[in-house]
This record gives sequence, C-alpha cells and structure tokens, in this order.
Amino acid sequence: MTASEAVATIVISAALMLPAVAQSRQARFTQAKVENFQQLSRDANRARDENRRDDAIRLYRQCLTIRPTWDDGLWSLSDLLYQKEDYFEARDLLRRYVSVAPQAGVGWALLGISEFQTREYSRVIDHLQRARNLGFGERKDIAESVVYFSAVTLTRVEQYDNSMDLLFAFVNAGRCDTPVQEAAGLAALRMPLLPAEIPGDRREMIRLAGSGFCAVQMGQHEEAEKQFRKMTQDYTGEPGVHFLYGSFLANVRPDEGIPELRHELEISPFHVQARVRLADIYLKQQDSDQALRLAAEAVKLAPAEASPHMLYGEALVAKRDLASAIEELERAREQAPDLVRVHVDLLRAYSAAGRTDDANREKEAIERLRHPGSEH
Amino acid sequence: MGWSGWTAPCIVLPMIAVLPLLALVLSASPSSTDPPQARFDQVAKQAEAARAADRMEDAITLYGKGVRLSPSWNDGWWSLGSLLYDQDRFPEAAVAFRHFVANTPKPGPAYAFLGLCEYETKAYEQALQHFQNWSVNGFPGTKDLIDVAVFHWALLLTRKGNFVESLYLLAVEAGKQRGGPALVEAMGLASLRMANLPEDYPPERREMVWLAGQAALATAVSSGEHALADDYVRRLILHYGQEPNVHYFYGTLLNFQQKNAEAQEEFQRELQISPQHAPAIVELARLKLTHDQMAEALVLAKKAAAIDPKNPQTHHMLGRILLTMEEFPESTRELEIARQLAPDVPAIRYHLARAYTAQGRTKEASREVAAYNLLRDKQQVLAPPQEKLGGLRKSEESPK
Repeated sequence: MTASEAVATIVISAALMLPAVAQSRQARFTQAKVENFQQLSRDANRARDENRRDDAIRLYRQCLTIRPTWDDGLWSLSDLLYQKEDYFEARDLLRRYVSVAPQAGVGWALLGISEFQTREYSRVIDHLQRARNLGFGERKDIAESVVYFSAVTLTRVEQYDNSMDLLFAFVNAGRCDTPVQEAAGLAALRMPLLPAEIPGDRREMIRLAGSGFCAVQMGQHEEAEKQFRKMTQDYTGEPGVHFLYGSFLANVRPDEGIPELRHELEISPFHVQARVRLADIYLKQQDSDQALRLAAEAVKLAPAEASPHMLYGEALVAKRDLASAIEELERAREQAPDLVRVHVDLLRAYSAAGRTDDANREKEAIERLRHPGSEH
Repeated sequence: MGWSGWTAPCIVLPMIAVLPLLALVLSASPSSTDPPQARFDQVAKQAEAARAADRMEDAITLYGKGVRLSPSWNDGWWSLGSLLYDQDRFPEAAVAFRHFVANTPKPGPAYAFLGLCEYETKAYEQALQHFQNWSVNGFPGTKDLIDVAVFHWALLLTRKGNFVESLYLLAVEAGKQRGGPALVEAMGLASLRMANLPEDYPPERREMVWLAGQAALATAVSSGEHALADDYVRRLILHYGQEPNVHYFYGTLLNFQQKNAEAQEEFQRELQISPQHAPAIVELARLKLTHDQMAEALVLAKKAAAIDPKNPQTHHMLGRILLTMEEFPESTRELEIARQLAPDVPAIRYHLARAYTAQGRTKEASREVAAYNLLRDKQQVLAPPQEKLGGLRKSEESPK
C-alpha cells in the first residue's frame, strides 16, 4: 500500500466511522432520554392514579419537556388542570392535544368547555360541535355538559333556535331544573345572555319563560299557558314576552296569537320573528295580503335570515306570483339548505311553474333530509 | 514561484479524490452527523412536503427542526408561525412570528399575526405596538386577516381607554361586516367607555353592553335612519339609565343625528349621575361654542380641563374657545398642552396654527400648518372622524 493509498484508506475509514461514532453517542443519549421519559411517565401515571394531583402535574410537565407531542401526557395534564379549574393552561394544552389527536372527541369537549370558562365564545361552538360529532368514548359523564354549554353559548351569540333545538334534548329526558329553565327562558325570549349574566330584576321573567318552554315540550299545554300568561302579566312591557306567548297561542288558538304578536310589535317594532309568525298565521287563514306585507317587512329587516324569505315566498305563491316566489324561496334555500319546509315550498312552486327537473331535484333533497344516510 | 511550480503535498491529492465519496456517505441518510446544510435542506424539503400533504403536526415538527438548524430561515419561521396560529397554539406561534419579524426587513402581515398571538397570550402592550407597526406598513394581508386584526386592535384601544379611536375602527368593520355578536359587544364596550376586553367585564353588565352595542352598530350602518338605534337606546335607558356613561352615549348618538338640544339634555343628565364626567362637559362646551354662548362655553371647558388635565380633548376645547374669544396667548398655551398630549391630532395643529398666526408667530404657524397637512394627508386611520378634515367646521378654512 502506497502512502497515498494508506491516507485514502484512513480518510474513508474515518468518514465511514464518524457517523458510527456519533450515532453511537447519539444512541446512548437517546436511550438515556427514553429511559428517563419512561420512568417519569410511570411516576406521573402513578401519582395521578393515587390522586396526588400536584405531583402528577409536575411529573407530566417534565415528561412533556422531553416529549412535547406525547398525546397521553398532554391529555392527562390537561385533564388535571381542568379539574383544578386552571382553564387557561388547560386550554393551551388541549389545543396541543387536539392537534396531535384530532379524533379525540373528549379533547375537543374539554377544550370547548375551557374556552367557555375563559370567555372565548366564538371558539366554543365549533369545538363543542366537533366533540358531539366525534363522541366522548368512555367519558359519557361529559356529554350533558357539552350539550348544556353549547346551548347557552348559542343563545349568547344570538342563535336562539339552534340553542332551543339542543335544550329540547334535556326536556325530553325529563330534565327541567333551574339551569335548564334559565337557559331555555333566555333562548325563548331571544336574550343573548348567559345564565350568569341574567339581570336580577328579570330572573323571574326568564324562569317563567323557561318553565313554560319545558311544559310545552312535555305536552303540558295548560301548565305552559299558565306560566306564559303570568309572564306577560308581570312583565308586560318587556321585549320578547308577548312574542313567546303569541307563538305558543299560534299553535293552539291562532286567533288569540295574533293580538299577542301584534302587541310584541308595538313594544319591539323591529321584531323579525313576530312578523314571520304573524305572516304564517295569516297565510293559514288565507289572508295573503297581510301575510305578504308582514313577510316583506321581515325580509327588509333581516335579509340574511332564511325564514323571512321563506314566508315571503309562500305569500307570493298564494298571490300566484310564481316567478318572484321562486326567487325568494331559492334565497331561503341558500341560507338554510337543511330546512325541509323550504324544499317542500320549492317543489310545489317548481311543479306549478312546470319546471319538472327542478321539482324532482327538490323531491330528492326532501328525501335526503328526511332519511339521512339512505340511498336517496 | 508560479502556480505551475506548485506541488501538492502528497496527502492532499488522495483527500481530494475521496471527497466525493465522503459526501456520498454523509448524504446517504440524514442524521445528526450530516453537514448542517445538507441536514437543513433535507428537513426543509420534508417540512414543505408534509405541509403540502396536509400532515400538519409533522410539518410543525419539521419546521421546528429546520429553524433550529438554521435560525435565519425566515420562510421556516413564517410557515411554523402560520401553522401554529391555525391551530390556535398562540404561545408557540408568537415565538415563531417574533423570530420572523426580528429577521425580516419588511415583516408585512407578520406584525398583525404577532399582534394577534400577543393578544391571545395577554401580552397586550406588545400587541398594541405590533398592530401600530402593521398599520404604519399599510395594513398588509388578506381581507380576513385585516378584519380580525383591526377588530382586535380596536379591542385593545378600548382597554387602553382610547374609546373614540376604537369606535372609529369598529365602525369601519361594521360597514364591511354588517354586524355579528362580537362586533356588537366590542362596540358596546367602547360606546359605554368601559376600559375592558370582552373577556373581562362584569357579567351583570352584559345586557347593558349588548344594548349599547346594538345601538352603536345600527347607527354605524344606517344611512340616516335611526329608528332601530333609538329602539335599543330606549331599552338601554329604561334598564340602565342610572349607570354612568349611558346618557353620555345617548347624547353622542343624538349629536350624530344633529339633535343638539336633546343631546345637551342627555349630557346634562350624565353630569347628574357622574358630576366629574369630563367628556360630557367637553361636549356641552362644544354645543355652547356652536351657539356662540362663549361665556358658558369657557366655564365648562375650564371645568373639564381642571377635572381631566391629561385629556387632550379638554385642553383642545378650552384652546378653541379662547381662540374664538381672541385670547390668543391663553389659547396658545392650552393648545400647546393639547398638542403635547396628542401630537398626531390634526385639528389641534390646525387651531394652534391659527393661534400662532393671530399673534404674528409666522414661523411656528408654518410649522403647524405643515404638521396639519402631513397628518391630514395621511388620513391616519386612528384619527376620529370629527378630527379629520370633514369634521372641521365648514366655515373654517385651512390656515394660510
């Protein structure tokens, strides 16, 4: 071997060995880290299981400095902090947790509830919706809280009808205690407040509204009427009370609903839903002129809402102005594609206009909405 | 000795010969022993691939590795910050954007993202500063970013007590968005002069804030039709008529509707509830000035300046009244105090220029005219509408 060859051999060997040496050092370091992590995580889990919460929190924190994306650790630490009502830190950890475990419904649930506690309402609804879609695994205990917090947050952001849809579930399960009554009362009176934000001078009004809501849902119409009547007597000048009573009466004795809804419009001249309900009653009574005028006013006041367009479309159908009716109903469909009544209206309007293909499409949409998951 | 006479030491040539081999060995698989550049290139490529494939958690890990290997990799900091921001992981995103801003000559929208992360992590003073930097750079970013950043900037201005500036920004947003619960709440807080964030004000004040916000929003988006705003104000007064700032707010709405007599009554009602309410006193002084009731205007403005000497509006109003009364040295003194407290308000510069001109202090007058023109031309976003050109009294002309 020449000197050059010898040098070359040494260089190549060195080049080949360098990574090996370094890798060996790295491997030893990694191994130590792994062992350390394993020991720490065992200690953390034991501390949690033995209810030594502060020790567990400290140990999980150490584990997460070694392995920041350890999903079980992120979850356990978040859960412990949530139980300690440290919602800010729990929230930050839960955001990391759901980014590594996006299918964990319970993670989204605790995140949404933590965000409720930190008053980040714009995020709560989406995160709790994800939780409900994904399910809660073994944590069935959390399901009721998720529905309740979703409902009260929906009310606060003025999505009253969606809130009431969720609250029906409580009532149907036989639950109508004070928290449910307050939540339902706020939604029914269309007051964008949380139960904790109820003004002291109107707590009873809201309770009466909620109690009436529960009674309606339980089929106790006499009891509901008693509650609603007392509410309108005791709080006659308050916005929302005559609308609520009028809406109830519209279903049982429509003629008596009309004066209540009109009374609401005197108190709340910009009340969109009172106009919509009145238009609905007038349509059923075949008074299409009144219906048309009220629905047109509702559309003007709330052009981005579906129900005014729907009622306006229905009134236009009654007036045999099919072209305009279809335009309005299509607007309603755009804004609320899952509302079956709009598709039914469109089916009739398209059929009357001889637009068979469009009518068939609406028929399919109705089938899909009525039987989700079926072939149609 | 020329280059041809140079002879390589015998050891060098074989080394040169093996270098490609060495490179090949080292690049065979990226590991901790790879040359930093090669490792970095590999990681950067993997990070971008992960992001393109929607593997966000992998992308975050890889971008994190990349910026550790090469801290000057600005694209990496930007991508890392953006991905973390999208997952609401604001403490980590703030770190990334902070690196990006520090290393980039024109950070553009990164100022806004950093401000938003700082808002979420309660670093409010830094957030304000970064939103300010962002505005100076011309509000770069997408429409969504501009909307969300302007909104949060306004929240911070309210928290700091800069209610008029906040309302100005929120009104611009209202014109674009036509409302929404968050905007209503933000407008309510600023309208009622509550130096709070939506997350931290007392729950029992929620309804009051909502009603005020609805009235403010209805006014901002109305085109001369005030019935809806009036309906919300009626409810506000009914339930919260004894709360501070409610009548002041109603007075400002009536002023906006040019109902001066009714506005005056509301400002006076506010003073029955809050006798030291300097902004209400300033508004009363303004109304008296408009009606040439100078003696009463002067008493009111002096009272306001005594109650709130750190408020530039009180000195500005007092200076304006003294200027109209041709009390030039006293007027100048007050307007100079106002300028010191609010150097970027064009109307103060305008009145100060007039005061200097009246005293023959032409050099100082010219300086104020220049400042006024500069501020006016900038149409700086934070200037409240009445302090912009359109808000100046039509009878007054630009100082020559």
